[in-house]
Amino acid sequence: MLRKSAVVLAVLTLFAFVLSPTIGKAGDFAIGTTLENFSLPDTNGKMQSFSDLKGKNGAVVVFLSAQCPVVKAYNERLNQLAADYQSKGINFIGVNSNHTESLEWVRSHAAENYKFPVLIDKGNVFADKLGATVTPEAYYFDSKNVLLYHGAVDNDRSGRAITDTYLRTAFDSALAGKAIEKTRANAFGCSIKRVGE
Amino acid sequence: MLILHRHLKAAFCGIALLLCFSISSSGQANSASKSSSTPGEKKPLSVKQIDIVGLRKALTPSSKPLLVNFWATWCDPCREEFPDLVKLDAEYKGKIDFITISLDELSEINRDVPKFLTEMKAEMPAYLLKAQDDDAAIAVVSKEWFGALPLTILYDPSGKQIYYRQGKVKLDIVRAEIEKFLKPVN
Repeated sequence: MLRKSAVVLAVLTLFAFVLSPTIGKAGDFAIGTTLENFSLPDTNGKMQSFSDLKGKNGAVVVFLSAQCPVVKAYNERLNQLAADYQSKGINFIGVNSNHTESLEWVRSHAAENYKFPVLIDKGNVFADKLGATVTPEAYYFDSKNVLLYHGAVDNDRSGRAITDTYLRTAFDSALAGKAIEKTRANAFGCSIKRVGE
Repeated sequence: MLILHRHLKAAFCGIALLLCFSISSSGQANSASKSSSTPGEKKPLSVKQIDIVGLRKALTPSSKPLLVNFWATWCDPCREEFPDLVKLDAEYKGKIDFITISLDELSEINRDVPKFLTEMKAEMPAYLLKAQDDDAAIAVVSKEWFGALPLTILYDPSGKQIYYRQGKVKLDIVRAEIEKFLKPVN
């Protein structure tokens, strides 16, 4: 009987795995999930691997857009965070997955606006893998590539009334060896423009 | 003779002055009527501010299915899909309720938001959500939503989500979903 139940459970688990959607959806890449190393081309076409780009205490992958006004409002804050935490071993990696933004546009936009590398996610394969849907959207991984925080940079896109610096607080907690209180936070932003949408 | 000539001259000047005044007054009247709304022109739509409590209320259907569109003037795909939303509203007026919720800054509530809606000839009730916490507001709407715009949701009268679309709506699909719901079950 026990054996039969185990077989049924195994079959159901297999079905759940096979039928699970492949397209990114909220919650696809949960907190605590380990990211396999990946490589994407930078804006000059050179392949860059996550393991080479991350710092000794991890890395933040931020989905960006060259045209999104919300991202534009965060550019300065992102550069400041990147500067503040690079010396603490956390590196920033920008990713552009919008098929509507040309390589030339993204290249010049990245050169003008960011002090960290921006990678090109052609065909939004990486965005699908993480289930990223909005820009800006941050994923903070520790040194072992485990996802510690996912979501908004802070709680005010205008930057005038920030009361919760989600990402900075997550960094500080992790660096101090404490548990991160808020591991998920959403905010309004632009949709990632996927192929075929 | 000289006196008569002077009187005639004075009378002529008076008439000329009166004529000038009359023409000037009628010109002012014309320009005033131009500045007010012309026949057929509608006043800009009024946009109502809501918070999270108002959002919960706005997302609660009455006796009809409820279509809700989240958008912002800074969102390109939101603006692009708006003509389709206006079409849907016209097609299903009276059969469903349809509201739009803007995520623009509060400073736009009397500026760009009503301006855009008026340009689109949108007649749906329009709201602007100003929440203290975006994260909490997004959670009220859907667990699947990270906050990307646009978002369109169709609720049945019981409040169950029967259509959920992140990104621009596809008219045929949303029409089919509405029709499916409106058709009486045999």
